[in-house]
Amino acid sequence: MFIRVENLICRFGQIAAVDNVSLEIKKGEVVVIIGPSGSGKSTLLRCLNALEDFDSGQIIIDNIAVDKNRKNIHNLRLEVGMVFQQFNLFPHLTVLDNVMLAQKVVRKRSTKDAADKGRRLLESVGLIDKVDSYPAELSGGQKQRVAIARALAIDPQVMLFDEVTSALDPEMIGEVLEVMKNLAAEGKTMVIVSHKMSFARDVANRIIFMENGKIVEEGPPSQILDNPKQKRTRDFLGNVH
Amino acid sequence: MLDWVAKQIVLYWDIFKYLLPALPWTVLITITSFALALILGMIVGVLRISRIKFVAKLAVIYIDVIRGVPLLVQIFFIYFGLGSLLNLDRFTAGVLAVGICYSAYLAEIFRSGINAIAQGQHEAALSLGMTRFQTLRYVIIPQSWRIVIPPVANQFIASLKDSSLVSIIGMRELTRAGREYYSQYFVDFQTWLMVGLIYLIMTITLSKIVKQLERFYAVKGFGSQK
Repeated sequence: MFIRVENLICRFGQIAAVDNVSLEIKKGEVVVIIGPSGSGKSTLLRCLNALEDFDSGQIIIDNIAVDKNRKNIHNLRLEVGMVFQQFNLFPHLTVLDNVMLAQKVVRKRSTKDAADKGRRLLESVGLIDKVDSYPAELSGGQKQRVAIARALAIDPQVMLFDEVTSALDPEMIGEVLEVMKNLAAEGKTMVIVSHKMSFARDVANRIIFMENGKIVEEGPPSQILDNPKQKRTRDFLGNVH
Repeated sequence: MLDWVAKQIVLYWDIFKYLLPALPWTVLITITSFALALILGMIVGVLRISRIKFVAKLAVIYIDVIRGVPLLVQIFFIYFGLGSLLNLDRFTAGVLAVGICYSAYLAEIFRSGINAIAQGQHEAALSLGMTRFQTLRYVIIPQSWRIVIPPVANQFIASLKDSSLVSIIGMRELTRAGREYYSQYFVDFQTWLMVGLIYLIMTITLSKIVKQLERFYAVKGFGSQK
């Protein structure tokens, strides 16, 4: 199993944001996590990248245990790319430099190799004409596509997407989802927190519905979206649709 | 009347010529001590936000102690106190005192500059596999730099003025030269007016340079300057 989460608990004060979650994800699988806000889906995702400390349980990704060990955390993050709701592009660097920085300082690639790869990735997300622009000159959708290219640049095995279209204007959501669909088609392992049900239906091998820090129900899109077994899943989907 | 004006002009010119050789020392003390302050301040500022509690505490103590003691007393302490032990000359002692003093202020400025950068920037860099040090070096500090330029420049100008305090240990810089002129010729009004004017010209020039610097570091659409 590529990603294994066992009995994960992550508390903020008294509240267990992630409450005893166990989960397994195979290589090449695309998993979409849905649920109401405050259900712990983003926290779960952030635990997978060690951006959030958890209180108990275990996370193993590609045979690397997520723990307090710095070396492990570093190795883990090389394998796990992350895209954020707020883009978090580096505003002082051009688009190309954003995509090159980690390649150079983390993967120790030469400037030429990093630039070549950077251009290839920006080409694949349709932004080759923006290499010399600064993030502030881009639209939200463009920023998010740069962020995806930046995360892909260090060749992670898994990509995490944390509500990446939630801060976008409606007309820009499509271009970002398109890039993600292409990635899924290439067989990238992806864990996606999203509110876009139609998108989830298109790309997901499996949908996980979370509420109050727990996994309520999981299964293929046809089951979760069309024939949910749990009443709470039905209620949630009823509200979203 | 015309005679008086002519005499005055000659007098001011005389004072100016007398002060001029001391001027490079004021500049040298300021630049050296501020360079020291920048390096020390950067180190202490980064230690101040260390996740190791003990290290952060040490930085806080350094900042509190240095900021809590008058610069004049620090100059005395370093020149007469440490100086007699370590055999420091006037210039070294003066530069050390001013540099250390200003490093404490700069450390706080650098810390606030680093803290002003959104948490998301740290997270993005860390998630790309960068270490905390690489994150600071490549992502956070280059952005903080723009934020801290105005307050750091303020400190630089202040340190130029405070370099006059080094005159107290006999370092012959601008202020000291002014005192010497006065004790030789007993013209106080004109001497101190001239000394003040020279400081003023230097500080105003520096402010202008800082404005250029801010413009130079501004990036399109990023930060306050467009």
